[in-house]
Amino acid sequence: MGVWRCAGDGTALASGAVMKDVAWRVMNFPGDLGSEGRRALRHDLLSALRVSGCAVIVDLSGRKSLDHHDVDLLLECAACVAGRDAKLIFVAGSPTLRALLEVCRIASVVPVCYSTEEAFSYPQIAAETIHVPAHMKDIGAQQ
Amino acid sequence: MELSVVAVVPSREIEGTYSVRPSDVATCDPMAFGSSRKPILGNDVLKSWADRVRGLGVRSLWLASGGHDGKVDGPTLAKFVRQGVERLLLIKLKSYAEMDLADLVRFHRDRGNPITEAQDARGELGVCLLDRIALHSATDESESKRANDCGQIPYQFTGYAKRILSATERQELVGDGLTGACAMKPLGTQIRDKVWVGEGVKIAPSARIIGPVYIGARTTIGAGATVGPFSSVEHDCVIDCGTTVEQSTILPNSYLAPGLLIRNSQVDGRHLEHLRWGAVADLQPAKLGRRIQPRGSRRPFFNKAKSDMFSGAGGAFPWEFGAAPAMAQPWLQVQL
Repeated sequence: MGVWRCAGDGTALASGAVMKDVAWRVMNFPGDLGSEGRRALRHDLLSALRVSGCAVIVDLSGRKSLDHHDVDLLLECAACVAGRDAKLIFVAGSPTLRALLEVCRIASVVPVCYSTEEAFSYPQIAAETIHVPAHMKDIGAQQ
Repeated sequence: MELSVVAVVPSREIEGTYSVRPSDVATCDPMAFGSSRKPILGNDVLKSWADRVRGLGVRSLWLASGGHDGKVDGPTLAKFVRQGVERLLLIKLKSYAEMDLADLVRFHRDRGNPITEAQDARGELGVCLLDRIALHSATDESESKRANDCGQIPYQFTGYAKRILSATERQELVGDGLTGACAMKPLGTQIRDKVWVGEGVKIAPSARIIGPVYIGARTTIGAGATVGPFSSVEHDCVIDCGTTVEQSTILPNSYLAPGLLIRNSQVDGRHLEHLRWGAVADLQPAKLGRRIQPRGSRRPFFNKAKSDMFSGAGGAFPWEFGAAPAMAQPWLQVQL
């Protein structure tokens, strides 16, 4: 696990847009987890996702397949960020895993990328911007 | 010159089990999941070939087991020489081709080739004619290699053909059958425009069936499920509540769990092959799908049928290859 920060890298911002400094956290989803390991992983994942404004990339590339516990946990993660300001991306290392994520409809609710590099170039991450209407900007200046 | 015909069925299908273990799924060749005996829109490709053979005036057909790719070795063919066969038509069940076999025989006779291999723009179709001289010199090499070595001119087939061991081409065949782009028709009753169902199908009132689609006999479609378009759910399947099947084929005796999205795929029990990504996924560990036991008792190995069953109602091919530990009889002659 590690904390990654999305660099500004000179991305052009539209007038009235503010670059939000988002810390992206990459969390591995290892294979061959025992029940203890799975419990710990669940705790870590959900703790990370419960933080307001969090942005988490779950890296599944260490997995060859998924069992029903894995699917349950991934769905729980998706449910945890639904309707909140949290961001979540899954990295499926193989087409097999991607197919499984599509079959159980996880790919319909959470973006799925093939690699962490692709995840970082995902539109939501590359330009994490908040558009501020002009009149709101004026209000901010007055205050 | 008397013509004998052999249809070669890949041995793993005669054995009734896949050689692929779950642990091999991630690394195995997706093509390994292809099957020539699995029905396509309820049709058996072996039956379609048998109908064409009958059109030649041949009244019996030999069934034989081949390798995993349907290959028959030379010594096995040499058995026909000992039986006095003069000309042999060898059909490996690896393709569906709307071929005029009489034209193939004429081409072979006119050219005077000892071996004539049928092929289309994409290569061999698994159909070849061998004369006695070629059977005599049969070796372990493939027929095409022997033909090429002899400088023979292959029979160029320009009609409709699909390789049924490829899941992608199989799905194309399903689409063509549903839209009338080929001669294969769905085996069932047309209940709506481009919607065919087999007998004993159960469809929940809230399920959506979007044509063109085929639902095989005794299949159950659960509440809120969506099937189609360009999909085929073969016989004895269960599509559970809320599951969507789009542009996919569900092979017989497959169960799909609730709420799934099956798109551009072929599902055979627990295995799903994604046609675009070329990935094979095992659905069973995640409890997303599994194979269900066929209804009725296990069928006997090479259940020989009456001679008139080819023309029987329903058109089901009478020989089912049940599970057997080993081949007890490598050759079986059936009357057409």
